[in-house]
Amino acid sequence: MKPSHFNSCIYVQSETRNYSKIDSGSARTFKGDAPEDFVTCSCHFKITILLDPRRINHTESSTMTLFHFGNCFSLAYFPYFITYKCSGLSEYNAFWRCVQAGATYLFVQLCKMLFLATFFPTWEGAAGVYDFVGEFMKATVDLADLLGLHLVMSRNAGKGEYKIMVAAMGWATAELIMSRCIPLWVGARGIEFDWKYIQMSFDSNISLVHYIAMAAVVWMFTRYDLPKSFRLPVTILLGLCVYKGFLMELFVHVFLLGSWTALLVKAVLTGAISLCSLFLFVTLVHSN
Amino acid sequence: MFEEASEVLENMLKWSVPLSLVLFLVLVCPLRAEAAHEFSVYRMQQYDLQGQTYGSRNAILNTEARTVDAEVLSRRCVMVRLADFSYEKYQKALRQSAGAVVIILPQNMSTMPQDIVQQFMELEPELLATETIVPVYFALEDEELLSIYTQTQISSSSQGSSSAAEVLLHTATANGFQMVTSGAQSKAVSDWAITSLEGRLTGAGGEDLPTIVLVAHYDSFGVAPWLSYGADSNGSGVAVLLELARLFSRLYSYKRTHAGYNLLFFLSGGGKFNYQGTKRWLEDNLDHTDSSLLQDNVAFVLCLDTLGNSDNLHLHVSKPPKEGSPQHALLRELETVAAHQHPDLKFSMVHKKINLADDTLAWEHERFGIRRLPAFTLSHLESHRSPARHSIMDMRSVSSLEGAGEATAGPHVDLTKLSRNTKVIAEALARVIYNLTEKGVGGDLQIFTEQMQVQEDQLASLVDWLTAQPRAAQLLDKDSSIVNTLEYYLSRYLKDVKRHLVRADKRDPEFVFYDQLKQTMNAYRVKPAIFDLLLAVCIASYLGVLYLAVQNFGLLYGFLRRVTAPRVKQH
Repeated sequence: MKPSHFNSCIYVQSETRNYSKIDSGSARTFKGDAPEDFVTCSCHFKITILLDPRRINHTESSTMTLFHFGNCFSLAYFPYFITYKCSGLSEYNAFWRCVQAGATYLFVQLCKMLFLATFFPTWEGAAGVYDFVGEFMKATVDLADLLGLHLVMSRNAGKGEYKIMVAAMGWATAELIMSRCIPLWVGARGIEFDWKYIQMSFDSNISLVHYIAMAAVVWMFTRYDLPKSFRLPVTILLGLCVYKGFLMELFVHVFLLGSWTALLVKAVLTGAISLCSLFLFVTLVHSN
Repeated sequence: MFEEASEVLENMLKWSVPLSLVLFLVLVCPLRAEAAHEFSVYRMQQYDLQGQTYGSRNAILNTEARTVDAEVLSRRCVMVRLADFSYEKYQKALRQSAGAVVIILPQNMSTMPQDIVQQFMELEPELLATETIVPVYFALEDEELLSIYTQTQISSSSQGSSSAAEVLLHTATANGFQMVTSGAQSKAVSDWAITSLEGRLTGAGGEDLPTIVLVAHYDSFGVAPWLSYGADSNGSGVAVLLELARLFSRLYSYKRTHAGYNLLFFLSGGGKFNYQGTKRWLEDNLDHTDSSLLQDNVAFVLCLDTLGNSDNLHLHVSKPPKEGSPQHALLRELETVAAHQHPDLKFSMVHKKINLADDTLAWEHERFGIRRLPAFTLSHLESHRSPARHSIMDMRSVSSLEGAGEATAGPHVDLTKLSRNTKVIAEALARVIYNLTEKGVGGDLQIFTEQMQVQEDQLASLVDWLTAQPRAAQLLDKDSSIVNTLEYYLSRYLKDVKRHLVRADKRDPEFVFYDQLKQTMNAYRVKPAIFDLLLAVCIASYLGVLYLAVQNFGLLYGFLRRVTAPRVKQH
């Protein structure tokens, strides 16, 4: 076989490779060689029309995985977008304030990392034994998050809801970009499929709700006119917010939860915290 | 006006920041992923011999995995286990223009039943004879590969038989595998040098002594170069030659036993490729040099090929030796020694004329025969076409101490038989060199006993070392450790140890080797295209629900307000 013939074989191979994956979904069998065969099968015809515009590269796998990355990214990012639009923040030109909140997030994360690196050197604990005390101490450092949120909110003048939303949106978006975009980009775009990218995107949705709740609780905690009866619940909620990560790891370790179950538990926990904080918020705001 | 402009700019920036980030990353970042499983694969032979192409022409693959029982095989990587492998299935895969074939071999070949091993050995030359575009790889089985195979089998066999709903469910849950090799396309290796080694023991008594040449080719052959260990063929031949070198150098070191024959030992390379090493060595020695041991007085050339097993011993000749010639003397001595000292050994002579019309020569002695040097080959195999001479199943030897009752599938080296054969050859050679029969020494006298005996553990360690790595000619260049070690070993016992290189002719090469014989294959878990679409639909619906929820957040807010309000009013 001369090289020229061989090269054209490869070209034909990759051209029609886009269609080859649909074979697996077909209840009928047909030769995957000639594209005309697909015309005869109506359902596949529609799918080929759908697939046609996406023939950016000659290798089908990379277009498919880019699609998967798009799926994960939209799953992660759209709720933020929806929240931003529907909470009315766009009317208040809050974009740059959110960016400032994001910058504060970065700064706080940096300080936390430095602190952890200095005072918590690498553990030589036994492998497999979950170091409860150590992890607890590390989680305590997350109190810095609360301080950061408070800083952001105190700099924004406005109604309570506005402050909370701005701080939470900026903080959560910064976390999304920093901790989720890169793994998604590197991993979800690869040929290898893993459910963890979808889980990561769901997790970012849960984080959004979590940060909104946390910002609300911080705001409530710093109110001078907080009734005495509210102090305790707010403090408990505050503690839960900070140690939520630690609690989740504890659950996973003790009950040996699967990844999807852990996600569900996390969602439930966050939902509970946010409902409580919302309840308290409504009570506080509308009691005077 | 400035406000408007700033607002427009702000909007643009709002939109452009994520978009530009995505675009930037799309264009810049390379794609890398961790595979579900990474394993070494060994490619089928690819070579040109005397202008004829053999084997698999292609090395790269990036295709989805299927097993042989799947209906659609075109552009897929067909995975077969050795136990299920048959020539019809292989043909079927090729007919349907499969993307690649991967044959999974068990880690321990001894677990395979005898008939499967035999069948595969017979198939090997046929696999090579059909020149194919499809890359054919061999992989050794481990747990993860086996699980990949079983998953692929389940998904392959369930196609084409279920309803659309089942298929949809199946696509969501099942794993497909994409097999990707990391290397480049195979291309011809330029300027490959096949090394041969020679050494000699000079006889006592002046000039014009007759020369006996002992030859063995040290390379091995199989359907996959990286898997051809060549224990019996021709690791056994090399071991015998090296042991003979040791024994006779010992004999020659004492003045009383220094015989009047020159002994020339030659380890030839490229033996499985029509004896290229021997051919060029003969040309150089007979045509291009003025004086060489080969030109003057050659008593005979004894080629050693596959001596590690069985109770047969055949002396292959292209012309029956004439009475009174040294060849006839050796033949007679071999018969004598076999009859008197080892009655269990069945010795015979096999006469086969050299057929120059064949693609390749049968035995190594034919190369010498063409140049009119008297030669024969000693082997326990009766026919040169025996599959044991070029099989990847020819592996590690088994000594009689272990597994005494079990028959190891496939050719292997039996050390007791190898040492017996070595002794027979040594005794016969000694009787010729010292002319013992004419001096009236009986056939029962054993020379190589006690301190001079054939050392079985020496043979064992030689065979072990030889089979520890593949010895295909494409893998042994002049700097390889095997060649260096052989040279060192020869130089311990022989004098004038020299290397002899063979390079293919530039314009009309006798042999061409190709590279990319060993690759790392990655198996990536993939989901079919439908799955991505399904996922997109699900995510879209989830986002729609979320949108509605956020829009109607006010309802929840109002509800909570109503719940808390009565309590406040009570105060």
